[in-house]
Parts: sequence; C-alpha cells; structure tokens
Amino acid sequence: MSQTRTPRELRLAGLVCSLAFAFPGLYLIWRNFTSGADPLGLLLERQTLEPFWRTVRLAVLVSLSAAALGTALAWCTTRTDLPFRRLWRVLLPIPLVFPTFIGAAAFIRTLNPGGLANDAFSFVGIAETPELRGLFGAWFVLTLFCYPYVYLPVAARLRQLPGSLEQSALILGDTVPQAFRRVVLRQISGSLAAGTLLVFLYTISDFGAVQLMRYDTLTRAIESNYLARPPMAFALSLILLVFAGVVVLAERSINRRLPEITTHRTSPPMTHALGRWKTSAITLVVGTLTFAVLAPSAALIDWASDGLLRTQRGGRPLTIDASKVVEAASNTLSSSVLTGLVALVAVTPIAFLVGRHRDRIGRFAHSVVIATFAVPGILIALSLRFWTLKSGFFGDLLYDSMALLIFAYVVRFGSLAMGTALVAVRTVPDGLHDAAATLGADRWKRFRNVDLPVMRPGLLAAAGLVVLSTMKELPISLIVAPIGFPTLTTRIFGSFEDAFVAEAGIMAVTLVCASALLSWFLVLRRADHL
Amino acid sequence: MSASAARGVTIDDLEHSYGQEPVLHGVCFNAEPGESVALLGPSGCGKTTLLRLIAGLEKPSSGSITIGGELVAGEAWVPPDRRRVGMVFQDWALFPHLSVAKNVAYGITKSPNKDSEVAAALKMMNLTDLSNRMPATLSGGQQQRVALARALAPRPGVLLLDEPFSNLDTNLRVEVRTEVHGLLTELEITSVFVTHDQDEAFIVGDRVAVMREGEIVQTDSPQALYHHPVDRWTAEFVGTMSLLPGNANSGVVDCVLGSLPTDPQLKGSVDVVLRPEQLAIDSGDEAEVQLIEYYGHDTMVFVSLGNHQLRVRCGASTSLSRGDRVRVAFIGDQALAFSTS
Repeated sequence: MSQTRTPRELRLAGLVCSLAFAFPGLYLIWRNFTSGADPLGLLLERQTLEPFWRTVRLAVLVSLSAAALGTALAWCTTRTDLPFRRLWRVLLPIPLVFPTFIGAAAFIRTLNPGGLANDAFSFVGIAETPELRGLFGAWFVLTLFCYPYVYLPVAARLRQLPGSLEQSALILGDTVPQAFRRVVLRQISGSLAAGTLLVFLYTISDFGAVQLMRYDTLTRAIESNYLARPPMAFALSLILLVFAGVVVLAERSINRRLPEITTHRTSPPMTHALGRWKTSAITLVVGTLTFAVLAPSAALIDWASDGLLRTQRGGRPLTIDASKVVEAASNTLSSSVLTGLVALVAVTPIAFLVGRHRDRIGRFAHSVVIATFAVPGILIALSLRFWTLKSGFFGDLLYDSMALLIFAYVVRFGSLAMGTALVAVRTVPDGLHDAAATLGADRWKRFRNVDLPVMRPGLLAAAGLVVLSTMKELPISLIVAPIGFPTLTTRIFGSFEDAFVAEAGIMAVTLVCASALLSWFLVLRRADHL
Repeated sequence: MSASAARGVTIDDLEHSYGQEPVLHGVCFNAEPGESVALLGPSGCGKTTLLRLIAGLEKPSSGSITIGGELVAGEAWVPPDRRRVGMVFQDWALFPHLSVAKNVAYGITKSPNKDSEVAAALKMMNLTDLSNRMPATLSGGQQQRVALARALAPRPGVLLLDEPFSNLDTNLRVEVRTEVHGLLTELEITSVFVTHDQDEAFIVGDRVAVMREGEIVQTDSPQALYHHPVDRWTAEFVGTMSLLPGNANSGVVDCVLGSLPTDPQLKGSVDVVLRPEQLAIDSGDEAEVQLIEYYGHDTMVFVSLGNHQLRVRCGASTSLSRGDRVRVAFIGDQALAFSTS
C-alpha cells in the first residue's frame, strides 16, 4: 500500500460519479413525498399490494429453480465424466444472449396457431395446444434464461476447488452426495448465493417477459400507471426499490456469515464417474439446451425466414425494409458502446480509490454504485423521465436527448463494470507501481505505462459486460429513448405487441447474433482469466 | 557499466506509523557512500518499512532522511520518482507486459544512449540472450537478475534490496548471493538491504543494523555484532549460543563451568552467553551427550549439564556418540554476560 496521498481530483471524480449514480433513486423517493398524493395510504391499497405479492412469488420461484438448475449443470459439466463436457461448457451460457422478452415471445408464438410447436403438435394429432401464460409462463421462461447467472459463477468456483478436498471426504467415509453436501456445497455457497441474488434481482426488475406473459407484477403495474396516475406509479416504485434494497442487504448479511474460504487449486479437480446416472445427466443438459437455446432460435429463424419468403412470393409485404433494421441495429450498437465507455470512465476512478488508495470516499462511492445494481431499469427510466418533465433548466437541456438515455443506461449497468474494474485495478500489484516510481516514473507515466496495459483486458471485459446488457435493455429504451431513435429492443417489442411476427423475428435474430458474437469476443473468451 | 557517484544515506530520529499503529520509533541510521548495510531483524520489526521510507514509497510521520547530502524527507519532500534510488523488490515486481529489455529500459527512457545502456546492463547481468523474453517465461534466478539490471540501469546512487534472496530456492540462493555480493563490491555502490537471515546479513553486509520492534538496537560490523552484542536478545538473534546463570564480580563470572573471565564492569547475577566455538569437549563424567548434528564441515554436539543444555562446536571427525559421558571446557578469551536485572 502506497502511503503517498490520494490525488484530490480523483476523490472529486469519485464523489461526483457516486452522486450521479444515486440521483435517480433519490429523486424517486423525494417525489413520493412531494407528488401530492397520500403515499402511505397508497402503499396499503389492494392495487399496490397485489402486484407486490405476485413479484415476490415469481422471484422466489425463479430463484429456487434457477439455483437448482444452474448448480446441477455446473456440477455435471465440471465434476463428472459426462461426455462432450467441453461442448456443453461453451453452449450452456448462451441463453444469456436472449433478452427474456424475446424468449417469452418465442414460446408464446410458437405455441399459437401457425407457430412451429403448434404445427408439430397438430402433426402428431394433438389439437389442444397448451398455452404458456401467467405465473407458470413467466416462471418457465425466466428460469430458462436466467440459470446461467448461477451456472457461470458456480462452475468457475467448482473448477477452482482442489480435488483433494473431496478426496479427503470420500476417504473419510462420505458417499459422493454426502461429500457434495458436507464439503462442496459449503465451498460454493458464496458463488451460489451471489448468482441467485442476480437471478432474484433480474426477476423483480424484468418487464418484457411478464408483460408478454400478462402476469401483473410491480414493473408491469408501474408501466401501465406512469402516464395516467403518476402518484400510483411512484408508490409502486418505492415498494420495488425498498424490496430490492432489503433483498440485497439480506444477501450481504448471510454472505458475511459464510466462512470466507480462499483456496488455490493445488490438485486437479476430482472427476466422478456418473455410471447409471449418465442418461439422466445427458437428458438434463440436452433438455435445458433444447428449451433455452434451440427452441427460441428455431422459432425466431422460422418467423424471419417465413417473412422473407412471403415477401418474395408476393404475400403481405413486410412493414420494414433493410434500412430500418440497419438503423435500429446501429442505434443499438452505438448507444451501447457509448454506454460501455462512459460507464468505464465513471467507475474507473472509484475502482482506483478503493483498490489502490483504500480511500474512504472511494468506499462510499463504491457502495453507492454497487447498490444501484438493485434498482430496476423501469425505476431509473421513470425517475429521469419525470425529472426532465419537472425541472425547467435540465428539462430543456436533456428532455428526449441521447445524453439522458446514455445516463440512464450507465446508472442501470455501471455497477456491472464496477466489480470487474476493481478486479482489474487489483491485478496491478502495488509492488509494480512502487517499482515504476523508484525508476523515476511520475504518476501519469505510471498510469499510462504500467496500470493501463496491465488492466486493459479487465477493463475491456468490464465495458463488454455493460455493452451486452445495454443491447438487451428494454424498459429504459422504451421510456427514455428520444423519439426517432428506435433501438432493436424497442422495435422488436413493438412488433410483437402489434403481432408483426416476421419483422420481430428478423430483428431478434440480428440482436441475438450480435449479442452472441460480442459475448464471445468481450466476455466469455476471457471469463477464465477473470 | 559503472554506477554514478555513490551517495550516502543518513536517517535522523525517524518516526512512522500505519494509521494508529506505530512501526518505527526514533530510528537513526547511516550508510556511508559505497558501503553495504544490512537491515537485520525478525519479521514485523519494521525493516521493510524503513527501506520503503528511504525509497520514498512511504512518508515518515516525523524525522528526516538525507540522501547524498540532499534532504528528501522531513522539512522537504522528494517523491520516489525523483530520488534516483534503485530498488529490487522481494517479488521482483517485473512488469508482466514488457519484455526483459523493455523492463530494463523503463527507468532510462529519456536517456540519449538508451540502447547501449540497456545492452550494457543486460550484459553485466548475463541477460543478453534473454532480452526479448517475457518475465513470466523466466526462472526465479533469471527474474532476479532482470530486477537487478532494471534497478541498476538508471545508475542510482543508492540501491535498496528488499529480502533479495528469499524467493529463491536454497541452492540457487547461495549462488545468487555470492553473485550479488561480488557485484555490489565491484560497483562500489551504496546498498541497503533487508533480510531476516543472519548468514545473509553477515556475508553481504559491511555493517549490519539489527532491528527489533521498530527500533535499531545495534549497528556494527558483523564481527563486532557477533562478539559484542549489546544485549542478550541481540546475542541470541545474531548467532547460536548457550545460556547459563552466573554471578559476576571483578572480572570473573562463576557458573557451572567454573570461574570464567568476563567484563570487569559486571557485578551480581548475570546471564552467561557462550558461543558454541568457545566450548570444547573433554574427557570427564559430569555431562552427557544428548544429540549430535553433523554438518559436514563441523559438528554441533548438544550436551546436558545438570539442568542446562550446552551447544558445543566440534570438528568434522568427532568420535562421540549419544549417551557418552564427557566434560565441557571453556576455551574462549572472555565470556559474554548480561546483567539479569
């Protein structure tokens, strides 16, 4: 640790950034008490409490199933003799590239008359195709597309865990399931809890999937109220905000009580023979991939190709042409890349304050940014929308502007970059910095020649995480994006709502392919190094 | 390649603390130009902190540091990048993204003869063949040499080394130690190095400063330190010894080995400190051989005498065996003793 003083500009930057991150949440709370309504009364109304309980029910169910599925898949692909393990490891994170609302739409439409699954059902003689709607539909879709949040950290932790631990347990008389419960589960509990928290927070903030599944959670209620009854929307938002905060705090306090174990892999991880369980394990992995990757991809491609063929055969022409797709795609790409860069610029000073200088303002700013992770996008969108409507000066300046959209995205996803940027700062050993100092390099030269090159892969991955999430973002894009700035997600969502399936399919394929390519280059390829 | 003019280091009444915890108090220290001084002490005694203070990586709470006549800490403050002090880190801290040659060039980017200086530094450390390799592909000994070349390339007036040999395995350690010792002597550079290993301090240091709990207890030549330590703790820390209770009066101390000559200043109850080579084994019956450790060049014999255990250094070809009855004789000039009060 260098005792040399923390630069004042860095602390100022950290403070300003953290205030910007905190602003939308604080504004929302403030408006609750100044919107002239009776917030406490509204909080206890049936109209507010019912969506709340639906949100809780859905989030608990999805978290449980995603935790179980993610852990099972992680264990099968890292600790057993399952065939084609390497292939599964590449394929299993893929569902992350599907925005959940696209996944939901794919399942709904494929079961409708004319859909791929509906055709298949009638082909084998089943006339009554099951409908996927409501709680069951939302649970099914969110589990399928959220399990990688658990799978990825748990698999990483399992790969890191030395095999000698399990081997000791087995030699001391445990069966494989006993060893898993008594030794392995204890070791992965931190990663499991963190992953499950991500699923939980994602579920309570999800808007697109529940909207298409017509399941009335808080986010859906907020969206349907914000124009007509702002005080109601504010009250609902406050419930959601407090709920998210409580969940994060609860996870923190549980995680603090878990023993912190840092083991470095000294012996190769252990491989269990699956034996007669092999068929079940393969069924689990292949089944998951069929529903979470194959089925939605097939549905999207089916619509897209249907639409293209139909136009050629002279059927109802598409409502969009290539230029519209290109426009939306380039809007998505430019806004998300810009968001990634701005987020990086915003969190890097904080990462330096915490990781290098162990500064008090840095720790404060860090916890503010991390806390924003729990704030659902729809709340940020709502808050900023109303702020620009209400505030004269900033309203004129920012209303319906690109800057406001980027700001909203950065607040929503900046926290994703925070953790990775902090890891990147910490990968620069203090000694390296000290060595450069004794060799005559001043602060700026040290930053340029030592910090930046060593941190570059980490910082790129941090920006990559933000870019990927921004590309798939729906509620903020719907509410904050300037008029005349359609993104892929808003176009796709609009097309689904208006039942222009082919158009939605074409743009969804574009979005999923772009997101998959970028995931590969920016994040997954490097995931092992993080 | 030659070092620039060696510069001395003078430290006066230095105090330092990490937050609330004091780590150094009232440290006074001096390294003459061209001299090699070891900072020897157990872990946590503040020796690395002292080194970092000299480099400017920490700012002292009070007191002053002067390098080559220039005040660098105290009333004035010179940041590390302007102190022209070379430092070799315990983990070598090579820049992982730069090749060997670029690591060595890091401190001399502005020099007009950069290329030839880098080449000279690489040649001096036998690294010419490795100049394009990345640090991660080098062995421990090679990394150590790169770290030295990098620190020496800007021709610092003072070279600081933090536990320079502790990351090497035993065989390599002795080899590298001799190499570095030779280099420091040849370059006539001022060097201050931190170690917790008494052998290392005695071999490489012209003088050794012994540190304990944030204070320098004694600075002396290795010989003086070994034969005239200031207190019992230092005596024990800088070499093997046996301890006996005794009673001193007018230059003689009485203990179980008889009346031994000692410092005439001492009076009353004392701890007698005996180095293994001050003792010898004789024929007799009063003591028993407990344990024999054979080192090749000599043998350490552990003998019990009453309730006490004595360590006696014998020749390589001793015929003693465990359980033998013997007598222990004092063969030194003067026995070290410290008042127990």
